Amino acid sequence: MGTFVQLVIDGLSAGSIYAALALAIVLVNQATGLINFAQGGMAVLSAYIAYAFLGWGLPLILAIVAAVVVSFAMGAVIERFLIRRFEGGDPDTAIVVTVGLLTLITGIAGWIWTYNNLQFPSLFPVASIDVLGAVVSVRSLGTTVVIIAIMVLLQLVFLRTKLGLALRAVADNPQSASFSGLPVGWLLMVGWGMAAALGAVAGALVAPQLTLTPGMMDTALVYALAAIILGGMSSPLGVVIAAWLIGVLENLAAVYVPAIGHDLKIAVPFILIFVVLIVRPQGLFGRKVVVRV
Amino acid sequence: MSTSLSLLRSPWVRGGLLVLVAALLLVAPLVLPVFWNQSLTRVGVFAVAVLGLNLIMGYTGVVSLGQIFFLGVGAYVAAYGVTNDWNIVLVFVLSVLIPGALGLLIALAAARLGGLAIAMVTIALPIVGVPLAKRLSEFTGGSQGISARFSGAPEWTGLDNDQWQFYIVLVIGGAAFVLARNLVRGKFGRALAIVRDNEAVASSMGISPYRYKVMAFTIASMFGGVSGFLYLAAVQYTSPETMAFHHSIELLAAMVIGGAGSIIGSLIGGAYYVFVPQITNAIAADLTAVIQGAILLIVLFVLPGGLVSLPRTIRRLLRRNSGSGSSGADHTPPPREPAPAGTSGQPGNTERHGNT
Repeated sequence: MGTFVQLVIDGLSAGSIYAALALAIVLVNQATGLINFAQGGMAVLSAYIAYAFLGWGLPLILAIVAAVVVSFAMGAVIERFLIRRFEGGDPDTAIVVTVGLLTLITGIAGWIWTYNNLQFPSLFPVASIDVLGAVVSVRSLGTTVVIIAIMVLLQLVFLRTKLGLALRAVADNPQSASFSGLPVGWLLMVGWGMAAALGAVAGALVAPQLTLTPGMMDTALVYALAAIILGGMSSPLGVVIAAWLIGVLENLAAVYVPAIGHDLKIAVPFILIFVVLIVRPQGLFGRKVVVRV
Repeated sequence: MSTSLSLLRSPWVRGGLLVLVAALLLVAPLVLPVFWNQSLTRVGVFAVAVLGLNLIMGYTGVVSLGQIFFLGVGAYVAAYGVTNDWNIVLVFVLSVLIPGALGLLIALAAARLGGLAIAMVTIALPIVGVPLAKRLSEFTGGSQGISARFSGAPEWTGLDNDQWQFYIVLVIGGAAFVLARNLVRGKFGRALAIVRDNEAVASSMGISPYRYKVMAFTIASMFGGVSGFLYLAAVQYTSPETMAFHHSIELLAAMVIGGAGSIIGSLIGGAYYVFVPQITNAIAADLTAVIQGAILLIVLFVLPGGLVSLPRTIRRLLRRNSGSGSSGADHTPPPREPAPAGTSGQPGNTERHGNT
């Protein structure tokens, strides 16, 4: 029982990181209709920026906050000067642009900070507490709590503020949003900025665990994409629940199913996807989209 | 200049050129140094992989980030068959059919969700493939990899190994290119173009986007398997690293830079895949990824049709500069680029209409 609880909580913590990245991708997708494959790479770059601030003597929490701010600007700039040219065009081209961006950003991180593993300090003490007879690390609990807090905050921004209303309007129908006088260009930049900032938080949370390398988020990106398919693109809450489900299930499978084990646990979300896709092609929580000619 | 261009379009000149190129390719390995033979052989290997990717992405409009996985599977199947002394023809057939069957299974599930979901599922293939290859060490040799020498030149030919391998790739790769060309120019290719342009229109015409996407993906996987077999013939060794994720991205970049939806573009893509890393490594090894990412983005910005559209773009710029009406190309038929009819989002298409 102790092991089980521990696996579930560790799974929730891993799932929370996938959820943060997945939310960032959904945020961009809902506003612009494209999947940003560079989201993981941008999160890594944010973690490196936090690392640089640490090196200049900033305390950890301030370094992370500063990296979040810089990342917001970075996301906005990328949208304005790179992505905007491809928005509304061929979606395949836009996807390839984000893949190129991923290569470029990973390359920049590797060029400046080398491809060696760097140690990144954790926000949470390296301690563990006793939960229902299981030894649970404070870091796992802390990661989960931080992500839940951010989710609630995002939800409040989207549902209770004018900015959130405007963002939703742009996501829903950019053309009529622009007819009603909304600054669509600015809002798209803000959307990208928010996604990058969210990625920065994910990067800072995952870096202590994996040590900082340019390819650190590749696997997390795959999990995040799996969570998006499972949860359904149109449902942020569904995406988060799917991410948690994936985190917990893969942890359980790694221990209780010897054929999968730790090295193959990344196959778990995709087995899950196969099963779900056969039954519900629009994802667990997604809406069915109807196209008219 | 325009007369030489219109000359190029006469079937006799084109046929002559084709014979000339074929003769050059047949003689080349006999006179070139070993390094060049090996490089050109690898260009052929990856050109076939890019060709497969082009079928699913360039012609069908379905983004796939997992093409390298099928190359890896093909190489592993070939290696396993060769080390177990199976008949080489059987090995070849299996190294095409097994990736094809895997591709079919994946597409059956992923194509239910539409293009973006296929992209999201295929990104997992190389990332799951690498640990899977390590795990199945009984068949794959684990992280060590597996080496299989079967492509040495037979005694009677009097050729060196690199020359023999060149010919293997030339014959099988050439056949793959002819096959793909016929495929995309025929009924199947036109159906793919409609699916690519507008799925709703396709279904209203009785073309099931789902079925065509699954078929295109399966065929693309089989081309991946062919290139895997050729990879083993050329390199004689494969390991989990062969199907690493970044290779898949480089393959995608090679396709876009060569020219999406173009047969010749696939060949240029293969050359890009092999030569550009060699060049960037020589210039600055730690800048390789930055340079490659930058090249990809720059090409997307200034030459969205890829390098294959470069002559057309230059011609258009020249014509604009020299004023209108002086061009002799006005009454000649449009250049017969092997792009499918009516691919939207390809500027080349509208330009061609402008030419006539």
